This record gives sequence, C-alpha cells and structure tokens, in this order.
Amino acid sequence: MSTRAFISQDLTLPSPGKQYLIFIGLFFLTILFFFLDLFLGSVSLNAADIWHALFSGGNGQLEIILFKFRLPKALTALLVGIGLSLSGLQMQTIFRNPLAGPDVLGITSGASLGVAFVILGFSVSISPETLQGFGNWILVISSWAGAGAIMIVILIIASRIKDIMTILILGIMLSSGISALVILMQYFSSESLLKSYVIWTMGSLGNLTSDQLMVLMISVSVGIILSLVSSKMLNALLLGENYAVSIGLNVKFARVVVFSCTSILAGSVTAFCGPIGFIGIAVPHMARILFRTSDHKILIPGTILIGGSVMLLSDIIAQLPGSEKVLPLNAVTSLIGIPIVIWVIMRNRKYSGIY
Amino acid sequence: MLTAEKIVAIDRLRTGYSSGSNEIIILDELHATAFKGELIAVIGKNGAGKSTLLRTIIGLQTALDGKIFHEGKDILEYSRLELARKVGLISTETVRATNMNVYDLVALGRYPYTNWTGRIDMDNHIRILEAIQDAGMTAFSSRFISELSDGERQRAMIARILAQDTGLMVMDEPTAFLDIGSKFEIFHLLHNLAKSTGKTIIFSTHDLQMAISQADKIWLLKDKGLVEGAPEDLMIQGEFDHIFDSSPARYNSDQGTFTFISEEHGSIYVEGEGILRHWTEKTLNRIGFAVSREKTDRYIIVPSGNYKNWQLINSQVIHEFTSLYDLAAGVLAISQSSI
Repeated sequence: MSTRAFISQDLTLPSPGKQYLIFIGLFFLTILFFFLDLFLGSVSLNAADIWHALFSGGNGQLEIILFKFRLPKALTALLVGIGLSLSGLQMQTIFRNPLAGPDVLGITSGASLGVAFVILGFSVSISPETLQGFGNWILVISSWAGAGAIMIVILIIASRIKDIMTILILGIMLSSGISALVILMQYFSSESLLKSYVIWTMGSLGNLTSDQLMVLMISVSVGIILSLVSSKMLNALLLGENYAVSIGLNVKFARVVVFSCTSILAGSVTAFCGPIGFIGIAVPHMARILFRTSDHKILIPGTILIGGSVMLLSDIIAQLPGSEKVLPLNAVTSLIGIPIVIWVIMRNRKYSGIY
Repeated sequence: MLTAEKIVAIDRLRTGYSSGSNEIIILDELHATAFKGELIAVIGKNGAGKSTLLRTIIGLQTALDGKIFHEGKDILEYSRLELARKVGLISTETVRATNMNVYDLVALGRYPYTNWTGRIDMDNHIRILEAIQDAGMTAFSSRFISELSDGERQRAMIARILAQDTGLMVMDEPTAFLDIGSKFEIFHLLHNLAKSTGKTIIFSTHDLQMAISQADKIWLLKDKGLVEGAPEDLMIQGEFDHIFDSSPARYNSDQGTFTFISEEHGSIYVEGEGILRHWTEKTLNRIGFAVSREKTDRYIIVPSGNYKNWQLINSQVIHEFTSLYDLAAGVLAISQSSI
C-alpha cells in the first residue's frame, strides 16, 4: 500500500449510489410493464382475474387467455428485448460504431437466411409453428450460423474500412444481397413452405410453442451469462484493438466469445420471432444516456432491464388495449427506435469516422 | 550506466511485413539497448520504420528475424498478459469512447492486474489516483475524455499507461497534433517521469530539437538501420547532417539548431551589442545574409542608448528603420538595386 498524500482527494472508492437507484427504478418498471402486458389486450384483465386464474386452478376461458397466450407472449417479449438489446450493445462496442446493431449490419438477415434454409430447404412441410423438440434446435442453430457468418464478413470489412457510414452502407448491401438469395430460394420452393416462411418474416411474439419458449429462454440465458463474463473484455475493446492488446487482452479469444454471444442472442430471437428492427440499436443508447457511463459492468444489466421493458411496452402498444385490432410489432419498435437512432447520428456528425 | 538494469535488448532485429513468401523488410540488423530510467527518442524520416519498430518492441507485430528481450527474457516467451505488465503503449490512435471519464480510462490501465470481473479494489483505486496525479490530471478525474483538449487527452493517456505500472513505456509520436505549449508540457512530463519514477520511455518524434535537448539517447533510423547514442555523440559524429539530404533545412552541429537553406545574398557587418544584435543577426540570416566579421562598406548599426532606430549605412548614405521588419525590407531592396 502506498502512503502518498493526495491533493484534495478522499480515498473512498467511487460509489455507484445513484446508479443503484436507477437500477431499482428500471427493475420495477420492467415488472410493471410485464403485468400490464398480462392485463391489457383485446380482453382486459384485472388483478382479481389474475389472482383467480392463479389460485382457483380452474380451466376456464380466463386461464386459457392467461396461461396459453398472455404469459408466454409477455415472457417472449421480455426475452426478445433482452436478446436484441444485448447483442446490439456488444456489436456497438466490438465494431466501435454507435450505429451497429443486429438489424442494421445484416446480422438478422443472416439469421433469416439460416431460417430460410431450414424452412424452405426441407422438402417436408415444416414451419416454426409445427417444429417439435429437436427441430427447434436445428432452426435455432442454423439461425446462429447465418448470423455468425455475417458477423465474420462484417468484421473483415470493418478491419479494412474505418469509416462508420461506409460500413453501414456495406451492411445494407449485404442485407439486400441476402434478401435476394432468400427470394431465389422462395422462387424455387413450394407454396405451403413459402407461406410459412412469409408469416415468419412478419415478426411476432405470440406464436411460440412452449418448447420453443424453452429453447429461447435457454439461449438468452446463455447469452446473458456470456455477456456478463465478457464485460471486462468489452471495456478493454472500447480503447480500440491495439490498446486492448497492449493492456493484455487476447483479442482473438474476446472476439470468439463476443461473436458467439451476439450470434446466439440475435440468432435465436430471429429464429422464433422473425426480424424485429431497431430495438438492438436504440436500447444500448438509452442505457448510455441514463447511466452516463461506458462501463459494461453497468451497461449490460442496464441494457437488459431497458431492453426487456421497451419490448414489453412495444407489445402493449401493438395490442391496442381495448380494441380487437393488433398492430404489426415491427412498426411499433421502429417508431420507438428511429428517433433515438436519428439523435445518435446528429450527435456523432462531428466525427463520423470514429466511435 | 554500467550498473543500470537492462530493460530492453534488441539483437539483430529485422522488422517489416511478410505476406506469403514475400518479405517486405523495413529495418534490418538492428542492435540497441534501453536501460532503466532512460528517455529514448526514435528519430527518422517518414517511412523510416519508426512505428514498425515500436509495434515490434511491444509485440503488436512479430519480428521477421532476430530477437527482442524484455528484462532479459525473449518477448516470444511472454504471454499477452505478462507482457502487459512489462510494457505499455500510447499509439497515434485517439480514444473517443462516449461517456468514458478520465478515471474510467485510467482504470483500464489496471486491466492486467484485476480479476475477471475487472473489479477495482482499494489497492487498484489508489494506484489509479496516483497515476492521475502524476500526470497532473487530478482536476479532470471525472471529466469525459470526449470533452478534453488534445493536450489534456494525451495527459490522460499518460495517466493510463502509468496506472499500467510497466517498466517500459512505448509512445508513438506522443506530441503529434499538439500545440507548442502542450508539446513542451508533455516532453517535460516524460522527462520528469523517466527521472523520478525510473521508467524507461521509448518515444518516436519528428521534433528533433526537442528530442536532442530532452532525450538521454537517440535511436536514429536511416538506410534500414539504427544508430544509437547520446544526442551529442551523434552530433559530433555528424549523423544528423544527412537526415535532411534532400530537404531545404540544414543542421548546425555547433549550435544544435536547424536553419533553412535560403538564397545567399552576401555578407554584412553589424555594429552593436546584446539582445538587439542577436535578433538583428537572426533576421539577416533568415533573409539570406551572413554576418561578416570585418567591416564592410555597407553595414548596420543596432540601436543603443538613446538611439531607438536601426541604421543602415550604404556608401555613406544613412537609412533609418524603426523595426527589424522594415530593416529586412530595406536591406533586400538595397542589395537588389546594387546588382
């Protein structure tokens, strides 16, 4: 221990007191949105209904609505929000690009390609709704593979080109190219296969079987654990690759961990719920604004809570409580996400080449 | 020096890039050593291989041939993490992470010492505060690095490398892009750090004059090789004479300064003393006149006593000037009209 005197400095460790308060607030907000998502919908439930459904053990309409529809959907929303936001946060750090996100750089398209191979590639009629047990894992793994392949392509591009905007444009090109491939596959596939694929692309939280929900839950949990484990590495990567190496980071190892994590998160969400836009890019910025830090030990849990609650809120809005109509989820998430993305672009105009 | 600890030894080093069977050799047959507490300036033209050499020393690039020893052990025998405790880097890249304050940046210097969660305990915290203080950044501790000036950001980077607690610090042009004031501050800081903390600092620079006055040793890169020595030794050996082969500057070995080679107009005698004489001579040199030791029929009298004007005597005619600027114009006009 050193015995040096410091000029006007107390030696207490920096305390994250204020950040704890924000965490508590976000935690309760997430719980609130979770229950609102259970209550609100074409049929509004109240607390008494839920209580009744939980403890009466009956098998009426109420129980069916709650356990067969609302609860799985709310859980899915929570998992999807967490998965997309976390993968966005990690991509923004590893590419040192504030506009990186699973949908922007073509990662979701890559996952779609993987899904298209499974749905359109098999001659038997299977769709995400009819898949059972092991088939779910095939769907998810091919989605991971598609997402991972695109991550690697983007990384190769990013190592040669430093300009953020150029990389984004190339990402859009890549997405279009992949969409073209998928269209070709659609062209050669049968009508029933085509239909199940098109329904999948519309994006939905409500079509998951309990098997699929289980697979999604396991995948997102693995993703959360991997993110928490890699928070120290992500902090080092904020400095850029050379500095990260110079302070002792094994960059290859870090990339493998972060890329696997991102592909697992974005891939599994996309496999079951279709491509959902703008959550992955916008939520990490909300966390940065709220916590005013670059430390991933705080940003990761922050992003998890904000991602979950934003997705639950999007789902509540999409249900148009009290009406029979349902809005497309993608439209809602875009309307929430796009203003934040525009704000980030405006703020970064000064130095578009650097993060 | 004989008893000092050897921090880096470079033996028959060949640096460059290899792609397949093609080798692009940038530097070859290098021999150099760095001892504890030395401030070493790496000097050479653009493209001479300064960055490549520094990158190879820190292990960001592998040597094509030869060996580098850090504290007596071959660099290839170090793990990345072990090496990060021996040598730190400041490169020409700027760190522009959003929402990162100076404390967080410096805390990343503790990366090789913290556990897998990166937790900052009291011991690490104290070292971070020390590093921030040594770099003179205590008042900026909670400022975001995106809000710092270039000079302040470079100090923050120096605090980070200090927190890394390495015996050797490698810096690639640490004063590039800085204004003159910050440049002096950074050089002063580096010089003091080397002396007070016993750190060895190897830095590349284009600022020869600063390097010569501050560095303990110069590694001069030229013709794919390296010449090592105290700045004064290299000066006596005339090593600096040829680094500006084709450029319009010339090194004056006796004064340790650089002058531009300009058109020569002849010589002129200056009468007078003190600081005014000194700057009058400088002005004449700048516009291409040598100062003659013998009285010429055209000469200048520097202001002295009550007399505030410069006088230019040309064939018995006296011209008066109120500033060196006017004097320079007058001298040039007269020398051209007399041709």
